[in-house]
Amino acid sequence: MFQVISITGFIIVFAGLAFHCLVFPVSGKHKWSPVAVLKKLIHLLTVVLLPQQLSLLGVLRKLLYFLTLLCFVVLAVTGFYRPLVMDEHLSGYLLMVHATFAPVFALCVAILAVMWAHHNRFKTADWPGLLRVLRRFIRMKTADKQDDGGQSYLVQKTAFWLIIFLALPVILSIVLGMFPIFGTEGQQFLLNLHRYSTLALTLTAIVHIYLIIRTQMK
Amino acid sequence: MKKGLILTGTLFWLVLAIPTFAASDKILLGDMQDGSLAQPVHLINLFDEEGQRISPDDELVLPFSMRGSCADCHDYDKISKGRHFNALLPDAEAGRLGQPWIYVDAATATQIPLSYRPWEGTYNPGQIGLTRWKFIKSFGRQLPGGIGEDADAESPDLQARWTVSGELEINCLACHDGDPGYDRAEYATQVARENFRWAATAACSFASVKGSAKKMPETYDPFMPEILDDPKLIPPTVTYRESAFDNNKRVLLDIVKKAPDYRCYFCHSNVKLQEPDIQHWMTDQDVHLAAGLTCVDCHRNGLDHEIVRGYENEASVSTNSLAASSSCRGCHTEGRLGAPQPKHAGIPPVHFERLSCTACHSGLMPQQKTQRIKTSRAHGLGTHSVNGSADALPHIVSPVFAEQPDGKIAPHNLIWPAFWGDLKDGDVALISLELVGKAAGKILDGGKASRSGDWPDLTAEQMTKVLVALKNTVAKPVYVCAGKVYSLDKKDQLADVEDSAAKPYLWPIAHDVRPAAQSLGSAGCSDCHTTDKPFFFGRVDVDSPLVSEAASTREMIEFQGLRPFYTKAFAFSFVFRPWLKIVALVSCVLIAGVLLLYALKALGCIVKVLSEEEQ
Repeated sequence: MFQVISITGFIIVFAGLAFHCLVFPVSGKHKWSPVAVLKKLIHLLTVVLLPQQLSLLGVLRKLLYFLTLLCFVVLAVTGFYRPLVMDEHLSGYLLMVHATFAPVFALCVAILAVMWAHHNRFKTADWPGLLRVLRRFIRMKTADKQDDGGQSYLVQKTAFWLIIFLALPVILSIVLGMFPIFGTEGQQFLLNLHRYSTLALTLTAIVHIYLIIRTQMK
Repeated sequence: MKKGLILTGTLFWLVLAIPTFAASDKILLGDMQDGSLAQPVHLINLFDEEGQRISPDDELVLPFSMRGSCADCHDYDKISKGRHFNALLPDAEAGRLGQPWIYVDAATATQIPLSYRPWEGTYNPGQIGLTRWKFIKSFGRQLPGGIGEDADAESPDLQARWTVSGELEINCLACHDGDPGYDRAEYATQVARENFRWAATAACSFASVKGSAKKMPETYDPFMPEILDDPKLIPPTVTYRESAFDNNKRVLLDIVKKAPDYRCYFCHSNVKLQEPDIQHWMTDQDVHLAAGLTCVDCHRNGLDHEIVRGYENEASVSTNSLAASSSCRGCHTEGRLGAPQPKHAGIPPVHFERLSCTACHSGLMPQQKTQRIKTSRAHGLGTHSVNGSADALPHIVSPVFAEQPDGKIAPHNLIWPAFWGDLKDGDVALISLELVGKAAGKILDGGKASRSGDWPDLTAEQMTKVLVALKNTVAKPVYVCAGKVYSLDKKDQLADVEDSAAKPYLWPIAHDVRPAAQSLGSAGCSDCHTTDKPFFFGRVDVDSPLVSEAASTREMIEFQGLRPFYTKAFAFSFVFRPWLKIVALVSCVLIAGVLLLYALKALGCIVKVLSEEEQ
């Protein structure tokens, strides 16, 4: 069941992103070519090694982001390989690698939440449609004020907050299982919660990463 | 003409077949169920095996026969196909591996698991020359009966002995006699005297048997006994207590439907050996018995005596309709008989896929090294001739946590087979005990062994000598012990190799069951998941008569189908588990804090917007 749902989820998300790329191509000289994406990824991965214009906190923030990204990739590969490809539970060395990277990921996500939450807070510019609707019912003094030059990051920010929100059941579902609180049925529930919340988090993270790369390429 | 022949043939067949159908469908008096749960009173006449009613004042007093006395009211033939009696039947379901009969001969350093059931790792008694007669002689003490002569396999001499001793009929009283005076140890003594026909009677409190069929000449006829010349020869004779018979020559037998536990224990007791100071009264019994259940509350059977063994998946091979619901899981998920439904709080579900219930709840608590145990059937516990020595063979080690065919790890008892064989086409064939005795008898020091019942101190030199001696009778003699096959090379030098023919025989165990508070894992993951805990890393004793192998052990994990390095690394990872919990919980607090903070901010915005509207 989980295998079918996961594969369907991945297909839908990747198909959606491909569709989005085709319908809304990146404007300017950067196009969605494999070379351009590769260049961007290399740039992202080497950014901390190159001379930076960022403050120490900025470097740390980026470093943390890449560490989170690395953990995410490792956890996704180790976590989904057996359930998706072999229709088996996670076990063996994959489980050990998974469990090794999991606490690092949890801590990184928590610190990311602290560091990036303010940057990803919703602003009035993120809700132009909603504001128009609201104006019909109430008089809003700040309704016309535009932040960030009027550019909307609604989906990207929503993805960020979803990741942060989903991280909670992902982490708690495993940690609580380690305490003598939940019986067999509870453990099974926690395991399923971990599976499905992880699937949701992974798909959201893919969308988030896609939007970040897309933003960078503009 | 042709039609007439067919008609005649059909009628002839019908005439023959109708009584057969009628007989098989007939429900006998004792097997009828009228709904009463009361205990039927068995005030009955006793009959000998020739169908003659027994009276204590008969001129020739014979032992009563179970078939003769019980079969009028109970379907003896149907019962004889039950689990306890059907090992010899070719179509009987073998089921899960069980405890074998273990043939032991300390003098020739032999210890072989035997069974008439086709359990992998056991040998058919016939393979070492044990005919049914010899099998009964060795193990009849704790057999429930149901073994008779196999005329094709026995020598003429032994066929004559069967006539003298009689058949070892199914002994109904072994389980169903509620009389505390029913003496199973006396039964064992009578079997040792070859008084098979008299054994069940001798065990009764109202009868006594003296004499021995073993000493009788082959021509002796117990139904027409002649006066023997030799005063030392005492033929087997039975004497009944006259007061046990009423005026109608009936005897009150205290027959119980539900076999009492102590009847089961005569054949199904276990005792651990390595703590001599701890006696039975200091130990706890099985939690089910302590809770007031009896053995047969779970191990049930109907008239067919197809008793429930109680293991998972038994229903796929058993005809007993309660087999599915009488396993641990069956009772404890349905709550039958008040079985508590387990919580297993904090135990990941993978444990229930890779472990049997018994892994945590049954058998001895694992220690750094396996312990030796004795069992009733292997050591004749409860009989008058029991060898009380802790070193007495066979050497059974327990608990060994090994993988079962269903992939689950379960506690097992284990023995290392040790025997002399003949290597043929890569397979080791057993050599008959007689040949081994002739070849090894003078070379091995059987004297010491026979006193303690322990292995003789077998040296490589002695083994070489025996193998050389056996070369006169078999092509490629080998000795199997401690998981290895020893043989001679071209220069008659001893060489050994690990071989599947020498692998140990393990059978899963289920008792005694410990409650949750005393199970493995009750103290947390560290009960098993640390690098030194015996569940994975305990040492399994490798039992061997070979002096150089005396202290040999193997790691438990070798029996579990697991990768040693991975298991060690996985166990080591539990050192970091508390840190993992702390990191994860701190992360959760931080994330929840951020979410709460911005949720409140969002709420603040909404409140602000709505407040402005009102102004």
